[in-house]
Amino acid sequence: MNPAFLKRVRFNDRMARWAITIGGMAIIFCVIFILVLIVNVSLPLFFSPTAEPGREIRLLSADGVTQVAEGMDDYLETGFSLDSSGQIQFFDLIHGDALDHQRLTAPSGPQKVAAATTYGRLNQVLLWEDGSLSIDQVQFRPSFDAQNNNKRTILHTVERLAQLPVPAYGHPVQSLARLNDEGRLTRLDLLADGSLHVQQREETTNFLGEVTESQEHHSLEMGDARGKIQALAISHDGLQAYAGTNLGELLRWDLSDMESPELLETVQAFDDRRDITALALVFGDVSLAVGDAQGHITSWMPVRNDDGRRVLHHIHDLSEFGGPVQALLPTLRDKNVVSLGQGIVQIDNMTSERYLLGLTHPDGLDRVALNSRGNGVIAVTGKGNLVTWRLEIPHPEVSMKTLFGKVWYEGYDEPAYVWQSSAANDDYEPKMSLTPLIFGTLKGTFYAMLFAVPLAIFGAIYTSQFARPRLRSVIKPAVEIMAAVPTVIIGFLAALWLAPLIERSLGSLFLSLVILPATLMVSILLWQTVRSYEPLKRVERGFEFLAITPVIIFAVVLAAVLGQGLENWFFAGDLKGWLFTEMAIRYDPRNCIIIAFAMGFAVIPIIFTIAEDAISNVPQSLKAASLALGASRWQTVWRVMLPSSSPGIFAGTMIGFGRAVGETMIVLMATGNTPIMDWSIFNGMRPLSANIAVEIPEAPVDSSLYRVLFLSAVILFVMTFVVNTIAELVRQRLRKKYGRF
Amino acid sequence: MMKRAYWRIGEPMVWLSASALAITLLIAMTLLVVVVVNGLGVFWPANLVQSDLKDGSVILGELVKREARHEQEGERLQFKIGNREFNGLDFRWVDAADIARMSDPPSVMALERAEYGNFYGYLKGVTPGQLAETLTGTLPEQLSQLRDLVAKQQKRVDEEGDRLSNVSYQTEELRLKRLKLTYDGMPETDPKIASLDDERSRLQHEFKEILQVQNDMVATLRSATAEFQTADGQSKQIAVADIVRTWFPNTMSVSAKVFFYLEKLKELIVGEPRESNTEGGLFPAIFGTVMLIFLMSLFSFPFGVVAAVYLREYAKDGFLVKVVRIAVNNLAGIPSIVYGIFGLGFFIYGVGGAIDRVFFPERLPTPTFGTGGILWASLTLALLTVPVVIVATEEALSSIPREMREGSYALGATKLQTLVRVLLPMASPGIMTGLILAMARAAGEVAPLMITGVVKLAPALPIDGHFPYVHLDRKFMHLGFHIYDIGFQSPNVEAAKPMVFVTTLLLVLIVLIMSSTAIHLRNKMKKRYTHGTF
Repeated sequence: MNPAFLKRVRFNDRMARWAITIGGMAIIFCVIFILVLIVNVSLPLFFSPTAEPGREIRLLSADGVTQVAEGMDDYLETGFSLDSSGQIQFFDLIHGDALDHQRLTAPSGPQKVAAATTYGRLNQVLLWEDGSLSIDQVQFRPSFDAQNNNKRTILHTVERLAQLPVPAYGHPVQSLARLNDEGRLTRLDLLADGSLHVQQREETTNFLGEVTESQEHHSLEMGDARGKIQALAISHDGLQAYAGTNLGELLRWDLSDMESPELLETVQAFDDRRDITALALVFGDVSLAVGDAQGHITSWMPVRNDDGRRVLHHIHDLSEFGGPVQALLPTLRDKNVVSLGQGIVQIDNMTSERYLLGLTHPDGLDRVALNSRGNGVIAVTGKGNLVTWRLEIPHPEVSMKTLFGKVWYEGYDEPAYVWQSSAANDDYEPKMSLTPLIFGTLKGTFYAMLFAVPLAIFGAIYTSQFARPRLRSVIKPAVEIMAAVPTVIIGFLAALWLAPLIERSLGSLFLSLVILPATLMVSILLWQTVRSYEPLKRVERGFEFLAITPVIIFAVVLAAVLGQGLENWFFAGDLKGWLFTEMAIRYDPRNCIIIAFAMGFAVIPIIFTIAEDAISNVPQSLKAASLALGASRWQTVWRVMLPSSSPGIFAGTMIGFGRAVGETMIVLMATGNTPIMDWSIFNGMRPLSANIAVEIPEAPVDSSLYRVLFLSAVILFVMTFVVNTIAELVRQRLRKKYGRF
Repeated sequence: MMKRAYWRIGEPMVWLSASALAITLLIAMTLLVVVVVNGLGVFWPANLVQSDLKDGSVILGELVKREARHEQEGERLQFKIGNREFNGLDFRWVDAADIARMSDPPSVMALERAEYGNFYGYLKGVTPGQLAETLTGTLPEQLSQLRDLVAKQQKRVDEEGDRLSNVSYQTEELRLKRLKLTYDGMPETDPKIASLDDERSRLQHEFKEILQVQNDMVATLRSATAEFQTADGQSKQIAVADIVRTWFPNTMSVSAKVFFYLEKLKELIVGEPRESNTEGGLFPAIFGTVMLIFLMSLFSFPFGVVAAVYLREYAKDGFLVKVVRIAVNNLAGIPSIVYGIFGLGFFIYGVGGAIDRVFFPERLPTPTFGTGGILWASLTLALLTVPVVIVATEEALSSIPREMREGSYALGATKLQTLVRVLLPMASPGIMTGLILAMARAAGEVAPLMITGVVKLAPALPIDGHFPYVHLDRKFMHLGFHIYDIGFQSPNVEAAKPMVFVTTLLLVLIVLIMSSTAIHLRNKMKKRYTHGTF
């Protein structure tokens, strides 16, 4: 033969071997890759946050001048520091250079700053030595230079938003102020004698365009609090005030009515009467973070108690310090709390109670501030230098506890498993508990399997062992074709045809649970007496299912007719209403009954086919031996065939289970998709798969929701992977045992 | 004695298992019957019934349903009353007891309209407007003449419309070209860009001109109207251009009805959807489905066959093969939504995003491939269906008797030659089976498509007359999603139901025909090679 030809043939053969081997390996790679990718997307949920320190900047200040405030922009490029002389100095944080500076003055003229607090988008509330107060906003605006390759420069300005004169009631030692969107200015003063005063000013424009200014001042009542007020907090809109005392008491006032501020409650928060040293309202102004002298940080919020009143309640425990907590700062975008104590800064998320990170400096940290995006921390060291950190806190609200455990969310009366990924307002707490979704998946699967498994397995037994071979060769393909019916069609019929039907004839459905078995038993007994006539005796063999079909149809029709009557006679024609009023069971139109039928229908063919194969492949010799020993055909099946094929049947059930777990369209259309946890068969649920389909189009890439949805895909993957692997191993063993399958 | 033996030997259990099978098959039958009955009847032109109610009002409509009244005696009837602009609702329930008289007036006319659903009423006049001087014959004849004229005019309008879309496509191309040039650093003052701008303003001018011409044509078109009167005496002018078809249901012969039915069926297959998909045709959805399946097969078929050949013919039986088998079976068992989310994360944001960054950086942040599209959807589906092809091919290869391989080797053939000349031809029915099953699965799968690029209404087909003709980045429509969408997301679910049932019927037919062909093929092949099992 031509050697060149042989060479080519051998070459081709080798190449093909390589190509095919690579192709085959690609498949394993694919499975692994899918898992790796979805895990990879969901993994950053659990990454620890990081903080990257920036340049340390020396602050040069004259004697007798102390730092009172600092801050920086959202790009971490420009920072400022404010000292007690009222001088505000800007810095280039990247190069460490000092930029320009300007001097702020009190309303009455040059003064020293007694104290400063910061709120919102870098609003500095300055309490001047004479007792007057001003709110100055430090504004950073990025500007892009179109000529110069869109280079970004940060422009900074300081604008005075409001100022209040020296109060008549005395000299404050500590003051807080807020200017809200409606233009109401609230000032809260703690005087040296321990009394607390509120001063509110509001400008209202009436319909004629006349501006009237109203101003009120009140001394806040302290109720039965005996301690001395140590810490104050006020909400963003200035309408709620909180105070903590040195005896562990918390006080809460409602300032919304200018004429009469009201003390809402006094709570003995800590039984050991520890000092409350710092207070802050967490973003959203619902929860109060409380720092105490023992270094604990706890969160509190008003919860409705038994008599319907809202009372502050201890909700979360955040991180601990070795000594008193000096300051608490809320972030402006999420429920994180920044705390300072013992020269260290710690950041926690309130909802997840996750300790995110701690910031330390060799010289210790004295003061701390945040930028408005919450991704930068600026602090003053023990030596009076400025340090910055760039924070990377990707998903603070997600932890194992929030994903799987019970969490006490804001506005809830008790801890709960909740899935609510979005809300109308920005400051809501994302509630991403996967527990109700996993529960929904398992609940739907459970009811579907309850319906499908008996039907499929008994049907398979009958088809493989009792039906005539000719019938069998029709039934089997018919069931296989059943498996091909798209689930979107099953789901559509379930939701738009079956659900209204069942809602209308609920009584009939329950009745058929009794009537169907009863009719079957009666007809079998009847047949038993009839068949003693010799000619009839062998007729039914192999055709039983055809003979029983009219009986079933009769039973269903009977149940439908009687059910309507039953409902009319006993439940005044409204079984659902009766269930609700008498049994306190709510009937959802799209519920588990529908799911059981629809998903059961989708799963039956899968279990059926595999179980039928398993039973049919038990060697005929076993069957023959059993029959020869005088066992009846049912005894043979029950005692011989079923035990031998049970692994196959188990495998089929497992694969059916896997299919039901991952089924999406049916549950999406027919469950109502409410993420509630309730075993009631009359309620809907929201399974993992439907949840993914519903939420992923709205989830921004790489957001927490996006990653949590990938995590739920991982859970689905793992669930089906385990189940399928078990099933496959069982089948492989069986295959070995009985030859080909 | 006899009785006890009957129980002991378990004969009733046999009957019970028989009833389990019977129930299963009955449920399947019910599903099929519901779909067929509801789907087939949709296009049949039912008679229009005029009911005079006891309170003096008149209802004209198709009698859709009769059912017993809840908690009370008698029955109630559901009519499809159409005339959405007058009634607000498409359907109305009436108690049988309230109806004084029912009749089938012969002259009542039914219209299918481009908007607001059907109209039922009496033809009172025809105004040709600027389209014709006079019309001759009876009113219905005049209307049909006018409709012919309108159709001709409509054709001209459509031609202008085609020109318009051509021009706007060119404008968009120019915009992208310019974007690319400026992105590449070409200064705004470059003559190339200036010429592009000139070209663009010329096109914009042309666009305006064509639009003007078209508007004039449309004005002429819409001047042709017909006047109708509803059963309760309100009159209504309807532009003839809005009328899709007219018929006299109460005087139609059966053959005319059959013809009408076939007409509607044709519209269903080749027509465009109207009224937020609840009326008209399914052509874009059918096209999208077919193209999706075709692309999917293009990917999954070669990979599946190669993988199966590797497993059966090349790999050494051992731990690895065992692992691969488990992997393949797992691949088949992974929920489709997980594939969908994988497709989203890997294909769309991963591969698509990378393509955009490398090839279309100038268009960012508007994604080109970094968003759902038919390519990504078909790749996702290919991944989903590859196990089906693998399992079927493997089965086919393993059922070829050993002697065939040995004979081939004995004659000196190499492995590849044996594979290509002997094994694959013999296994081809099995491979076909796998492919068809995979296609059937792909046709019915919706969940992964929902997140990889299927849309409610695609503005353009993935294949059209503009270079490069095949646009794999485009979004598409799909029959299965169509069902979900119009059944669950349409504003008027009750009015959309008939269309959902028709779509369902179509999809069921497609899937059932495909899978029964596959199963038939497989059973035939099984018979050919299996010998002597038990």
